[in-house]
Amino acid sequence: MSVATLVSTARPLRVARARRIPPSAYIVAAIAVAVCAIMAAPIVLSFLASIKTTADASAAPPRYLPETVSFESYVKVLNYQAGLATYVFNSGLVALITIGACLVVAAPAGYGLARYFMRGKEIAFLILLSPIMIPYQAILTPLYLDFAKVGLVNNHLGLAIVHTILQLPFSIFLMRSSFEAIPREIEEAAIIDGCSAWTRMTKVFLPLAVPGLVTVALFAFINSWNEFLAALIFMNRETSFTVPILLVAVRTGKLGAVDWGALEASVMISIVPCLGVYLALQRYYISGLLSGAVK
Amino acid sequence: MSTASLRAGFAAALIASTAFTTAAWADSLTMWVRASGTNAASTLVNLWNSTHADKIELTTIPDNQMVTKLATGVQAGEVPDLVSFDLIYMPDFMKAGFLTDLTADLKANKDYAGVAKAYVDIATYQGKLYGAGFTPDVSILVWNKDLFKKAGLDPEKPPKSVPEIHEDAKKIHALGADIYGFYFSGSCPGCNIFTTSPMMVASGSKMLPASGSDDALTGDGVKDVLEQFKEMWDEGLVPKSAQADNGSNFVALFKSGKIGIQGAGGFLISDLKHDVPDMNFGVTFLPGMKEGQVSAFVGGDVVAIPVGSKHVALAKSFVAWELSDEAQLEGLAKNNILPSRPALADNKYFAAEPRVVTTAKALAVGYVPWVYHFADMVNSDSSPWINMLQRAIFDGDVDGAIKEGREKMKAIAAE
Amino acid sequence: MKTMPSSPTVRRRRARRARNWQGWLFVGPALLFVGVFVLIPLGQLVAMSMTDRSLLGGGKFVGLENYEKIWNDVGFWRALAFTAEYTIVLTPILMGLGYAFALLTVDNTPLRRITRTIVFLPVVIGLGSSSLLWFWLFDERVGLLNKLLVDLGILSEPMVWFITAQRAFWAVVISITWKVVGFGMVLFIAGIQSINPEITEAAVVDGAGYWKRVWRILLPLSRRILLLTTLISAIGSMLAFDQFYIMTSGGPRGQTFTAVYWIYQNSFVSFKLGYGAALSIVLTLIILAFSATQIALTARSAGK
Repeated sequence: MSVATLVSTARPLRVARARRIPPSAYIVAAIAVAVCAIMAAPIVLSFLASIKTTADASAAPPRYLPETVSFESYVKVLNYQAGLATYVFNSGLVALITIGACLVVAAPAGYGLARYFMRGKEIAFLILLSPIMIPYQAILTPLYLDFAKVGLVNNHLGLAIVHTILQLPFSIFLMRSSFEAIPREIEEAAIIDGCSAWTRMTKVFLPLAVPGLVTVALFAFINSWNEFLAALIFMNRETSFTVPILLVAVRTGKLGAVDWGALEASVMISIVPCLGVYLALQRYYISGLLSGAVK
Repeated sequence: MSTASLRAGFAAALIASTAFTTAAWADSLTMWVRASGTNAASTLVNLWNSTHADKIELTTIPDNQMVTKLATGVQAGEVPDLVSFDLIYMPDFMKAGFLTDLTADLKANKDYAGVAKAYVDIATYQGKLYGAGFTPDVSILVWNKDLFKKAGLDPEKPPKSVPEIHEDAKKIHALGADIYGFYFSGSCPGCNIFTTSPMMVASGSKMLPASGSDDALTGDGVKDVLEQFKEMWDEGLVPKSAQADNGSNFVALFKSGKIGIQGAGGFLISDLKHDVPDMNFGVTFLPGMKEGQVSAFVGGDVVAIPVGSKHVALAKSFVAWELSDEAQLEGLAKNNILPSRPALADNKYFAAEPRVVTTAKALAVGYVPWVYHFADMVNSDSSPWINMLQRAIFDGDVDGAIKEGREKMKAIAAE
Repeated sequence: MKTMPSSPTVRRRRARRARNWQGWLFVGPALLFVGVFVLIPLGQLVAMSMTDRSLLGGGKFVGLENYEKIWNDVGFWRALAFTAEYTIVLTPILMGLGYAFALLTVDNTPLRRITRTIVFLPVVIGLGSSSLLWFWLFDERVGLLNKLLVDLGILSEPMVWFITAQRAFWAVVISITWKVVGFGMVLFIAGIQSINPEITEAAVVDGAGYWKRVWRILLPLSRRILLLTTLISAIGSMLAFDQFYIMTSGGPRGQTFTAVYWIYQNSFVSFKLGYGAALSIVLTLIILAFSATQIALTARSAGK
């Protein structure tokens, strides 16, 4: 049985449902709605506060709804220093490079760890996971001094490398789990068919691991987009700064005072692109030949 | 997703990034400023840019990262041409050799002779000068005139001593359960060194030690002020949230009109006029325990030239320019920011806003501590300063708190 | 690659052994990357930990003096104990809730998809912004959470959340749970979806109820991803910093300092970069030992 036929006959299997809807379905639906309400509440409250005037947003006692709808917090964030567009461009570029680097390095690594029996494999895995075990505030200083010597500071590539360091362990872990979940039979069939290792990986496994790749890309984007400390240390000019730095600067007042309206607007602004990426990539989670109904 | 297109994509990204960062900024100066000082610094930088061919590019660094960024930057050779930062870090930076010696240029500058003494002192190390006052700010006492009137107090007569603050606060709190007489941020070391320590200094105390053999928290001022604060706290004259406030709500509650009196900085004047234009408020000196004792914390930012700057001559001319009449009046005073030359306090812009004149006068009565490891001693979240305040006011052990604070501060100063 | 078969099993074994070195080729780039960009700076960190270097530069070699100081540093051990407590409390909450939400939303109905998106949404907010957001919600004066609790009748008056270590701890746990639970959920959904549906079908045919299927089939088969996700989550908790920095400022009276917070204080506030480096190395070693045991256990249970 060749790979092609095996792949084409596999499809999501659905268990036949009973005709009538059991009462448990209503309870579960109610739970889902409750969960939505609780989880969404802080964001909804944040949104409502972001459209208040600055004074209203820090009113004591607070009100749920804005007294008058005002977008002055958003305007403040949009026009701060170099302008939101510049920061978005920088964050976006760095995130894109990070995603690319993570995928290119982590996918083969995950594949190797998943499908090959090598002595010392787990030690290699431990080494690859090690970056997340180091407090990264500590490692940033030597890293910065090294990068400065080779001219990797104050540019997007240097920062993207740092972000990749932070994301790589998790990405490798994801890719490894993803490849491990693919059944043996597919691999055996590919070997019998005479595929080389590289073709096996690119033509057979990668398409099956798309949900994993997508998850890697998603988390790489989110974590790179929101990363603050390395971005601040490695970039030296306002025009190179990323969105998180803008968001901290715009809400900080004297002696630690916080402009709550600006904070809420920042939260909203940082959600939008990440949510967009998440929704765009959503469909790759659902599809995939190995998804199946649980019930 | 073919490997060829991937490679092309990467190449494009690389080219884009390098092109972007090496664009033609050849003839501009870079300047780092801390986030909370950006607005003030912008007034001067914008004025310079509008009247000079060589432009200054401002970069905003979040406050609590400024020291780290400058320190790592100097060591890596990645520094701006000018830097503006909280002046209490001057001693550490001067000792570490981060800043360019400006003695000759400043001594020759006639404007510099008129700069407030506090700014000259903080920028002096072993007889040499390393910086100049840039965007001063000074601490003062604000009071809500509307609440005073409602409480039966004369809205034009602010409290002139700490016990009087206590008395007035009692009357204001009587107005209602959610109206409080006094406010301070109980978990914010910086806020308190800015507004509470002048009350202690006014009462005769010396605050911080400059070395291990120097004395700390001397005199009765510290104890008396702490006891007043403790009593106000026990009597519920301060909102409960103050205990956990790390500074984020430093002025938020006063802005909401629910606080009668509190210490703040000159920055609050334009802040209030902008955010709550209907509020009637007054500004006066921070008092000591007895009437007639006054003080202030002379703060704000200084400007200096980091070692490694690539445009030293141009940077020096900026420093000289910002001390000039034009910069101080048209840049700072016009925007209700204090000039670092007290002689200029009597100007047409301030005449329209007498409250700013008060802050300018506070410069003359204020103090600024010259110590190493200020962050460790005061601003840190585990500092002896904030521990002393919290132990005295919230835990009630005033004497023990002062003793412990004194020991720990001296230990830090001895390092 | 054509081999001359003597028997199917021998053929497979020979093919497997011959393929092993190829595995290293695939893993090579990642190892190289980590070697250059992580292990080298780590080595420099170790070197720094044996000096008394200040953040402002300078410092000389002092050997293992920093490590001796750590032994006596009460603040560090207290912070470490607090961090351990935080990790032990938070991890089961995150994993348990994460798995529960995964079970809840693994289907593809519109309601489930919306729930999945909403539960995941907090993950995309930066940790700094999220912590500050909750700090605002919890505030006694300006916070809407207190107002909500009072309006709902749960509290009689607004509560100050950050004045006792207990309350501050739970406030941070609540805020982090909200922010991070979606992360576990997404990973567990992937794990559940990768289980061969034929197995669950067979169980249904055999008459197994839903919870039995979860307990007997789904959980054991997701065991590997459960263990590794728990590991990553636990490591993240042991390195917790931002949320405490922003919400509790280590207070009250320094009772909520975490290990990394303590390192931050020493390195960047007290300027003792060398000592901070030593603290970091000690913390990393502790986490490494913990992770190594976890991974060894997981590898053995994988049975591949």
